[in-house]
Amino acid sequence: MAFSGYGAGPGGAPQQDPLFGYFSAIAGQDGHISADELQRCLTQAGITGSYQPFNLETCRLMINMLDRDMSCTMGFQEFKELWQVLNGWRGTFVSYDRDGSGTIEGQELEHAITSMGYHLSPQAKNCIMKRYSTNGRIRFDDFVSCCVRLRALTDQFRRRDTTQTGNASFHYDDFIQVTMSI
Amino acid sequence: MACHSPYRAAPHMNAPPDQGFLWNIFQRVDKDRSGVISDSELQQALSNGTWTPFNPVTVRSIVSMFDRENKGGVNFNEFAGVWKYITDWQNIFRTYDRDNSGFIDRNELKQALTGFGYRLSDQFYITLIEKFDRQRKGQVAFDDFIQCCIVLQRLTDVFRRYDTDQDGWIQVSYEQYLSMVFNVV
Repeated sequence: MAFSGYGAGPGGAPQQDPLFGYFSAIAGQDGHISADELQRCLTQAGITGSYQPFNLETCRLMINMLDRDMSCTMGFQEFKELWQVLNGWRGTFVSYDRDGSGTIEGQELEHAITSMGYHLSPQAKNCIMKRYSTNGRIRFDDFVSCCVRLRALTDQFRRRDTTQTGNASFHYDDFIQVTMSI
Repeated sequence: MACHSPYRAAPHMNAPPDQGFLWNIFQRVDKDRSGVISDSELQQALSNGTWTPFNPVTVRSIVSMFDRENKGGVNFNEFAGVWKYITDWQNIFRTYDRDNSGFIDRNELKQALTGFGYRLSDQFYITLIEKFDRQRKGQVAFDDFIQCCIVLQRLTDVFRRYDTDQDGWIQVSYEQYLSMVFNVV
């Protein structure tokens, strides 16, 4: 629902950030967006470089990633943060999409992950490649889904690696909750 | 020392159905009479209590659970297992859908999962519903409820494989952790 209450007169607008335009057009009065609204926002802002709607499940994941108050919604500051992160990932993705098809190959996904600083075993990389590819190719929103999960899981793991040795202990109840919320 | 087992209990068992009865059902579901019930045939035969199609991901999970030959469907022998599995879940669902709404709300979900032996925080149930509720009602329909339990079970299974001394704790390397999780979610 479009909210027109924000001061937008020339030379006097409190928020001239172009991103705010996309955001507030969809967020409405409460200044927060849900997963569906994030999907619309991102699709309209053209982050994928195509007119295909952004994967809704991935939107849910992204809201989750930044959702500090467990509201399942995102405010403008978080949206800005997300936008920057997404642009970073888009840059990486585009650099591997050599034929400009909007998809990358399984092998390229593995290279991309390594280039982002994740050092994983061949098995782990293989797992990830299988999970995110459709017919051996990976779309941008699937790539984002992979990156979001990697980032969130790494965060969670680091928090439990108290001796910083690359090993962490998980209790069962904790493991269930951490993995299900990603 | 493990006192109370942290792992969930198996669903309540029913007596096996009459073979003739089961064969009738099988024939009705196997629309193209191929002798194998495919994902789409099973999906059409199942109801989630709304007019929307049964969750295809859940259908796939159920078929792959019972399809011993990796053929992408179940024959009559395997179908007996499918039928029992779904009937068990219907009984569980009915048990916990206390207000008979056809949906399981957050409180009912909490009772169900606590009944199975999971110990999860109240906040987490908000996450679970958000994650599995495809109808966007803030409650889970029958198919989404099954899907939620299937994923929980898969995570439990993978955890158990690493918890060799069965004390409810695992110690894993970063890569093991990623492999464990990416295999399931």
